[in-house]
Amino acid sequence: MSNEEMFKELSDAIVSCKKDAVIATVEKARDEGIPPAEIIEKGLAAGMNEVGVLFERGKLFLPHVMMAAGAMEAGVALLEKDMPKDAASKKLGIIVNGTVEGDVHDIGKSIVSTMLQSSGFEVHDIGRDVPLQDFIDKAKETSANMIGMSALMTTTLPGQKDVIEMLKEQGMRDDIKVMVGGAPATEAWANKIGADCYAENASEAVAKAKELLL
Amino acid sequence: MTTEYALRMGDGKRVFLTKEQIMADLQEGSADAADLADVPALSGDELERIAEIMMTPSRMVGVEPGKEVPVTHDIGTIRIDGDQGNSGVGIPSSRLIGSMMHERAFGADTMELGHIDYSFKPVKPVIAQEMQTMEVCQQNMIVPLLYGAMPNMGLYYTPDGPFENPGDLMKAFKIREAQESMEHAAGHLTRDTVWIMQRLMASGADGVNFDTVGAAGDGDMYASLHAVESLRKQYPDMYIEVGMAGELLLGMHGELEYDGTVLAGLWPHQQVKLAAKAGANVFGPVVNTNTSKTSPWNLARAVTFVKAAVEASPIPCHVNMGMGVGGIPMFETPTIDAVSRASKAMVEIAGVDGI
Repeated sequence: MSNEEMFKELSDAIVSCKKDAVIATVEKARDEGIPPAEIIEKGLAAGMNEVGVLFERGKLFLPHVMMAAGAMEAGVALLEKDMPKDAASKKLGIIVNGTVEGDVHDIGKSIVSTMLQSSGFEVHDIGRDVPLQDFIDKAKETSANMIGMSALMTTTLPGQKDVIEMLKEQGMRDDIKVMVGGAPATEAWANKIGADCYAENASEAVAKAKELLL
Repeated sequence: MTTEYALRMGDGKRVFLTKEQIMADLQEGSADAADLADVPALSGDELERIAEIMMTPSRMVGVEPGKEVPVTHDIGTIRIDGDQGNSGVGIPSSRLIGSMMHERAFGADTMELGHIDYSFKPVKPVIAQEMQTMEVCQQNMIVPLLYGAMPNMGLYYTPDGPFENPGDLMKAFKIREAQESMEHAAGHLTRDTVWIMQRLMASGADGVNFDTVGAAGDGDMYASLHAVESLRKQYPDMYIEVGMAGELLLGMHGELEYDGTVLAGLWPHQQVKLAAKAGANVFGPVVNTNTSKTSPWNLARAVTFVKAAVEASPIPCHVNMGMGVGGIPMFETPTIDAVSRASKAMVEIAGVDGI
């Protein structure tokens, strides 16, 4: 079997969302002498990207994404002992994510948190109806690289702008990226309030976080 | 100089587009729906017709004579009184006055009584008040008066309800536990809805409107369909409307089925068949508006989904039209130019039976 075929099999195993299938395929790839980093990057991570695409198209859903992420984690754990210590534990970035004060919507924000986590970011989901200063406090506490803010109502949307202003006032704006989202948010809104990016859905949130932080 | 037409973005912002830009967005929006739901895209003639509707110079448009359809309202009873960011206009009035204004002044063909929280669960502690209000409204009104609320299964999870929040469980990779929590919540939602409607039917309600079914995912629809099934058995002549929350039924559970069909991932033309099978009289397809796209893109996409649902449906389809749905911008008080254009297109091209 060529390496390309092996990567495809690894990717398909992730898309199947079955941990047993992923572990068996990772063992097979390791036995064939493929370096662990390639197994992860070209096989498992490629599979997670495909899961993201299927999620976006409504073919797979949150439980499936979670199962795929769990299967990927098990696959990576198998390879960890063969990898340099730093490489195994390296996170892509630290993100504080929450729904702004006054807004109790949770589902979309939670999906974004899960997808970011599954993609290798360290995510601190601080929940819904979050007092604005809490975003900043949590970012300080965790040395976050990015704050993600969701709002699902036009009445709570200005909270995103307020947090950006507060970051400026507290001298933190240059050190931290800001991503905004939620039904009433738009690219134009993100530009207007000086956010670094707007993400329309969870897959886009992952792509834009990677774009900004890597 | 090329003529530009004043239209809207999905967030209500004014945008000026040429006919070529309008046609391109219409094609793209329709293709998006066709691709996602595997349904036919609109034909060239249909897209041209929507373009004509959009480019009409009048501020508002209407359907051609003979093509009028029934119009009903959901939370309308408190749309007059409400003033808490919920699209109400804040005029102090009772729910009876709100209902009668819709019936006698605004031409509503059916009406709905709704509670300020507008979810089924919070109706339980005030059921006596709801029963009395229903009775008083029925004594004063002629048009069919339903009771309406959202299934809103999220209210059964912590911190609002007894079952552990599946979102928290998922984050801890407790997937089976999350699914079990949804199954328990669904059982309670079905039971509560049936209990509430038994009392409102005893108070003279003409039926029920399930509003925003599926808002909490497939479990929410699972519970609603079982409630519809139970109510239909108990009240063969009851009027039951099932209105959705969005075009795609999200699989928060992922594996729930109704009548052998997996609920996760259903599109409007598939949702309607299950609603009819459960016993609904009317189905309310919903297509959410993308705030970053233009009104031609959103409207063509919405009409494509809804046309497919109408064609597949064994029961009348009353499309949901309003803030952020049906190709209408996401704006508390949607502008009449966008609302009337989208409504006309839904009637004349998607072929809906009502709005």
